[in-house]
Amino acid sequence: MSNAAYWLERIRAMRFSAPVRVMNVCGGHERTITHAGLRGALPKNIEIIPGPGCPVCVCPEEDIFTAIELAQNPNIILVAFGDMLRVPCNAPKTSPRSLEQAKAAGADVRPVASPAQVLSIARENPQKDVVFFAAGFETTTAPVAAMLAQGTPENLSVLLSGRLTWPAVAMLLESESAGFDALIAPGHVSAIMGPEEWEFVVKKHNIPAAVAGFTPESLLAALYSVLQQFQHNRPALENCYAGVVPQGGNPTARKIMAETLDVVDANWRGIGIIPASGYAIADAYADADARKRFALEVDHSRKRVGEMPPGCDCARVVLGKIYPNQCILYGKACTPRKPIGPCMVSDEGACRIWWSSGIRGQDRKISENA
Amino acid sequence: MSIFEDRFVTLAHGNGGRYMRELIVEIFARHLSNPELDVTTDAAAIALDEGMVVMTTTDGFIVQPLEFPGGDIGSLCVHGTVNDLAVSGAKPLYLTLNAFIEEGFDLRVLDRLVQSLGKAAKEAGVRVVAGDTKVVPRGHGGGLYLASTGIGVRRPDLNLGLKQIEPGDAILVSGPIGDHGIAVLLAREDFDLKGDVRSDNACVTNLTEPLLKLPNLRFMRDPTRGGLAMVCNEIAQGAKVQIRLNESVIPVREPVRGVCEMLGYDPYYLACEGRVVAIVSADIAEQALAIWKGIPGGEDAKIIGSVEKGKSRVIVQTMIGGERLLEELEDDPLPRIC
Repeated sequence: MSNAAYWLERIRAMRFSAPVRVMNVCGGHERTITHAGLRGALPKNIEIIPGPGCPVCVCPEEDIFTAIELAQNPNIILVAFGDMLRVPCNAPKTSPRSLEQAKAAGADVRPVASPAQVLSIARENPQKDVVFFAAGFETTTAPVAAMLAQGTPENLSVLLSGRLTWPAVAMLLESESAGFDALIAPGHVSAIMGPEEWEFVVKKHNIPAAVAGFTPESLLAALYSVLQQFQHNRPALENCYAGVVPQGGNPTARKIMAETLDVVDANWRGIGIIPASGYAIADAYADADARKRFALEVDHSRKRVGEMPPGCDCARVVLGKIYPNQCILYGKACTPRKPIGPCMVSDEGACRIWWSSGIRGQDRKISENA
Repeated sequence: MSIFEDRFVTLAHGNGGRYMRELIVEIFARHLSNPELDVTTDAAAIALDEGMVVMTTTDGFIVQPLEFPGGDIGSLCVHGTVNDLAVSGAKPLYLTLNAFIEEGFDLRVLDRLVQSLGKAAKEAGVRVVAGDTKVVPRGHGGGLYLASTGIGVRRPDLNLGLKQIEPGDAILVSGPIGDHGIAVLLAREDFDLKGDVRSDNACVTNLTEPLLKLPNLRFMRDPTRGGLAMVCNEIAQGAKVQIRLNESVIPVREPVRGVCEMLGYDPYYLACEGRVVAIVSADIAEQALAIWKGIPGGEDAKIIGSVEKGKSRVIVQTMIGGERLLEELEDDPLPRIC
């Protein structure tokens, strides 16, 4: 623990004339930061902003609607990561609005934690179609790619809603106001894709960046690094998680992903299309693509298709434009028990993390551009 | 004829006839025998010390898998019920048992689980005095469900309860938390994770009895489902006090911490099956701790926090000097996905 105290002391000794806004883009980072009470332990003018770090939160409403429709087919077993089950969509009031509701109404929906479980469900139920609704960032998509590459049982297909992390950060940096002065880059994503993926933040946008792990010590080390870079105006991507994140990431995983998946323009819930930010299953593996097997298409005439629930500010929370408690629904209409937006559902969602760590009231605000 | 000439439980083992009698005699009565267990009567007579308060509790057991590192449903069925009596200040004496067996269940596995139950009961000093078996059709049970009711006696002058808790009191835990939750989770093999974690599944009377002699023991509870977090929340709400826990001293084993980090679980919400949380007045906290540390199973005991005046909530003082609230468990803890 002396390690964390050491970094904390060094950070506290630094002086800044204006607030410094540091964004993280990983639900795991946000969890550690909030659970460790890091914000309260830091000087007031160092702000840590949760950014686009929750794959469940950005999964398009249409995909959830589609998954629920598939689940209601009695010949289909729908499997999904547990986080996805409670995410609401805009289905008509008379139909189930989440996979959890569909399950309660009799649909065969099964929460899983790994592709291995998906495979055993498919093998144990050869007479059923098993659809794996896989939403996630690179870290979650890599095992799905490995599963595809190894060959899937005939009755198994994947409804993939995979996303890349860096394009969302690039989109923010290329917009008029990025809203942050330094970036803490995600450790697990970098372990697969390589830390080099984040070079553009430093080189193209002159923004300090550091890759961090998931302990308070690692995050504080990365925070100290970006603050140093910021103070001396010498942005340089630093890898503070070198034990786990090698240069080049995991080449085998990257190769398998490149073989089985295409990178495509993709819709982010409440945010819109971000170019080259999503994964689709490559044509060579089309047999295992649920979108093709079931000829799934988005019905754009459906009421409120793709929209966020009324009043829900999840999109701005995901983009780090506001803190969770700046949403007017936070803790009032929207709580983990009765979530309105996806950020209050997932353990990766900033609203859920803040609420379950006891952050109440709506006084915390992100500073305007310095 | 022996029951073991069949390999699996059939519906005939629940039909009230010869098969059922063989099942009861050759498995249940064989492993659970004691002077007060008479399988031929409809009700058992039990003797209780006069002047003592009779305490009773009941619990059901549906754990999957049925066997896991550090225990099984049989020993759990004893410890779960006995421990509820123990933390209430009672001396556990008797158990009754219900077994719901699924058609097709392997008789040798059943034999092994009932043997484990018998051994756990013996070690805990309790006698199974009544029981019932039912066989449910295939697909209607997880192999074996058990339920047990416990009967014990308590000193009439013992004053334990949420109402006794006062600001200033100290909170102790008898050992590392979350072992049972993680051991069962790993045994399910759903996560492709391997780890060397054994359930803490154990009888806690050896931990509770010595504390009963202390004059200012206020309250005890075993942190099972919902873990330490829910026990503390129940105390905060029931006693209308604020609880402050010190993260840096709460014992959590490294492998448990590792799995929690990987899957996004919070160890404070994970089940224990052989730990005790005790609240004592501050002046006897060190004494209580020393007692526990001298007992097998209590070596890693710690004073983990204190009771304060304030809102009914649980504050965790984090290792880096921050604070967070430990909320009530919202829903089933599910693993995060990246």
